[in-house]
Amino acid sequence: MTFGSGAMTNSIAEIGEAQVILVSGSNTTETHPQIARRIYEGVDRGARLIVIDPRRTRLARHAHIHLQIRPGTDIPLLNGMMRCILDENLVDDLFVEMRTENFLALRDMLYRVDIAQCATLCGVDEEQLRLAARSYARAQRSVICYCLGVTQHVCGTANVRSYANLAMLTGHVEQEFTGVDPLRGQSNVQGACDMGALPGVLSGYQPVSDPSVRARFERAWRVELPTTPGLTVLDMTHGDGSSDDAGVRALYVMGENPALSDPDLGRVRATLAGLDFLVVADLFLTETARLADVVFPAASFAEKSGTITNSERRVQLMRQAIDPVGSSWPDHRIIIELSRRLGYAMNYQSPAEIMEEICMLTPIYGGMYHDRLDNGEGLQWPCPDRRHGSTQYLHKYSFTRGRGRFEPAGHVPPAEAAEEEFPYILVTGRVYHQYHTGTMTRRSDLANREYSRPLIEVHPDDARKLHLRSGLAARVVSRRGSCVFTVRVSERVAAGHLFATFHFAEAPVNLLTGSASDPVARCPEYKVCAVRIEREA
Amino acid sequence: MHRTLILQKDHLLPLLRKLRKDNRVIAPVRNRFGDTFFTEIEDFDNAAIDLDQQPQTSLKSFFLPQSETLCRYVTGKHPESGALEYSFHAQVPVRTPTVYFGVRSCDLFAVMYTDLVFRRARERDIYYDRRRSDAVFISIGCARPFADCFCNATRSGPFLDMGFDLQLTDLGDRWFVQIGRPRGVRLIEEWPAFFTLASEADRKAQFQVELEARGLFRRHVHVDLAVKLLQEQPDHAAVFAELSRRCQDCGGCAYICPTCICFNIADLRLDEDGGERVRTWDACTFAGFTRMTGDCNPVDGETGRVRKRFLHKLLHDVQKHGRPSCVGCGRCVNMCFGGVDIIRCIEMLAAEGENGSGGRW
Repeated sequence: MTFGSGAMTNSIAEIGEAQVILVSGSNTTETHPQIARRIYEGVDRGARLIVIDPRRTRLARHAHIHLQIRPGTDIPLLNGMMRCILDENLVDDLFVEMRTENFLALRDMLYRVDIAQCATLCGVDEEQLRLAARSYARAQRSVICYCLGVTQHVCGTANVRSYANLAMLTGHVEQEFTGVDPLRGQSNVQGACDMGALPGVLSGYQPVSDPSVRARFERAWRVELPTTPGLTVLDMTHGDGSSDDAGVRALYVMGENPALSDPDLGRVRATLAGLDFLVVADLFLTETARLADVVFPAASFAEKSGTITNSERRVQLMRQAIDPVGSSWPDHRIIIELSRRLGYAMNYQSPAEIMEEICMLTPIYGGMYHDRLDNGEGLQWPCPDRRHGSTQYLHKYSFTRGRGRFEPAGHVPPAEAAEEEFPYILVTGRVYHQYHTGTMTRRSDLANREYSRPLIEVHPDDARKLHLRSGLAARVVSRRGSCVFTVRVSERVAAGHLFATFHFAEAPVNLLTGSASDPVARCPEYKVCAVRIEREA
Repeated sequence: MHRTLILQKDHLLPLLRKLRKDNRVIAPVRNRFGDTFFTEIEDFDNAAIDLDQQPQTSLKSFFLPQSETLCRYVTGKHPESGALEYSFHAQVPVRTPTVYFGVRSCDLFAVMYTDLVFRRARERDIYYDRRRSDAVFISIGCARPFADCFCNATRSGPFLDMGFDLQLTDLGDRWFVQIGRPRGVRLIEEWPAFFTLASEADRKAQFQVELEARGLFRRHVHVDLAVKLLQEQPDHAAVFAELSRRCQDCGGCAYICPTCICFNIADLRLDEDGGERVRTWDACTFAGFTRMTGDCNPVDGETGRVRKRFLHKLLHDVQKHGRPSCVGCGRCVNMCFGGVDIIRCIEMLAAEGENGSGGRW
């Protein structure tokens, strides 16, 4: 929104050449090992590593500066850093003048910021904050990598904007070895977004509200398209489920497991149970699929052809390696057949033919034909036509939206704060050996052996206070529900914080999390929820 | 008999085609994405045999598959007592004579090492043994070592004196052929028309290639020094602590290593009536490899696990088999995203030996 494009501005390999690498809200070694490879590479070449994370992750242990902030205090931290940059004349004036707008609003806001107050609010050392700001601003090539620790907050959008502000203020965008890089999670989450699996856009982020965009798609599909954005996942799964509800009556869920992954699970399950009709397409009978009226067995990545788009906007061809197992079908075949029976005959002979239509209707994918992707490396979008090669980094001479816009943001406290009844802050996340709701990894013997039980990380000081030891069972209670975990005493979390993963159906941590979400992206606040923890008999 | 022969390069493919009639032929083949793997060749006209790149994986999976069903089991009721009863049905691999062509010395040496474990005297692993006794190796001496190779330091290459059936040396327009095990002799006897006797000049040329190859290694890895240092004092706490800071216990190093052959056996229930007993690769860098009931772990913490892996390679196997079990293929160098590879370990040990201080990254 600040730059005009929702993807990594730069390429993964560039991270290794940066002089300062700022990683925020990302447990990179566990969740993005191949990006961690580049970060290590950079550090070995002498880059300074700054990690902003409430947890002491493996990467934080390697950091030159680890800012162990309280969850949900990114904005005050960044405002403090930017104030420091302003005070010390480290602003890239030329860049701000030539390429951005609304700087004065940011500057006026920053003049009201007190660095010491920010540091106190974030729970970090003021001198460390200043050091981080100086290192980031002074280097020629500074890159920011962020992940869900930044976005899964009630102020997720404002958090991202603040990181963008920091990058623009110091001119660390639109060049090689710089940029603001969101690390995408699932192998094809970037591709799904690119293809318009978002409520307000068609493929390639073309807004559904734009009549000329709609006209183009309507001509291709020979149907009339709705003019208003659809619902976000949160809106779909948090209806009240009653039949007089004007909301969702039927759901078709593909490869997703909201009955375990969505926040405030109690409500999600009620909504799913209250639906008139639920269809699920997945590899295995997931928690969601068990609630379904119809389950389509879907083919896995190895059993189908198509493309996968990764974090750095690289569209890669994926080829079928084995025949579909059992009676499973690739997703596109399921959709085509479903559509035919619903009275709209889709006629595609192959994934390559579907890709041709994508190329025709999606400017950023304009030249991504299968025959061109068959080069072992794929292509990075934007690639508007057949003659166009890969785009290594975005915003080279101007931002997608013209000028980069500064969007000053003030501190937005998390929806829930620690209080007497719920004195601890629970942060949720992932571990190396499990993947999301475990649909696949919980079925892999070895991965499951490595991390087999729902654990909760407790700081040693808190453990002492609560009389908890590693291996004991503990019940964690929030306003919405409770779960039992096995305690792991660990200094990876700060005192007063707890950490659990959402991989385990036997302790669905999302029974605890709340559905408060970012007003723009509607991304729920998975990272902060007030709980209490007690020893389970 | 130690005859040496010449095989003209033009005649190689025709020879492989002949061998294909009675054998599976496995060779390094470059796939359409530019990656080279050992692959079974069925269509010689369209397979890109690639002898210029190191195959990305070794031969390990051909003898010890990453996942292998050892037997199936069926549950039933005992006819008289009615008690639950298991019956097991072994899934022994069918005999398939196989020619492994284009095997590099390090990978062949690794197979000889794994023999020590799986085919020791009468204690033979029947699954491994079947595949192994069906194998014929046509290896290639490395005239040009690859970027991370150090088989000169582990004495498992670039050329071998034994273990191969035939060993080829590239002499430009022709292959110089050395005959090793009896199957190599049989192969020559079966297809004599492909080979001519090597001349004295050929032998000299081969000697020259072998000599030059030893000087072409870009990596100088002090394996012997590291072994000696570990024998003197196996602790080296600072080195292993430093190394393990970057180990994410993903097991990649063990999976890619041609001599890492630890495995796990698990029973997978497939339906109400039975299931499979499956053997899968395992790795000592996994915490679960040594974890016991009640979360007790005798090899505890990341440092302990990393240390165990490197000590196994460089110390325990020296004590047991008289030589380190690293064959110097260098594959773990590219595999590990944290850079926790055996070269780094050896370099850090050597640096520590030199200046007495803890190794640094």
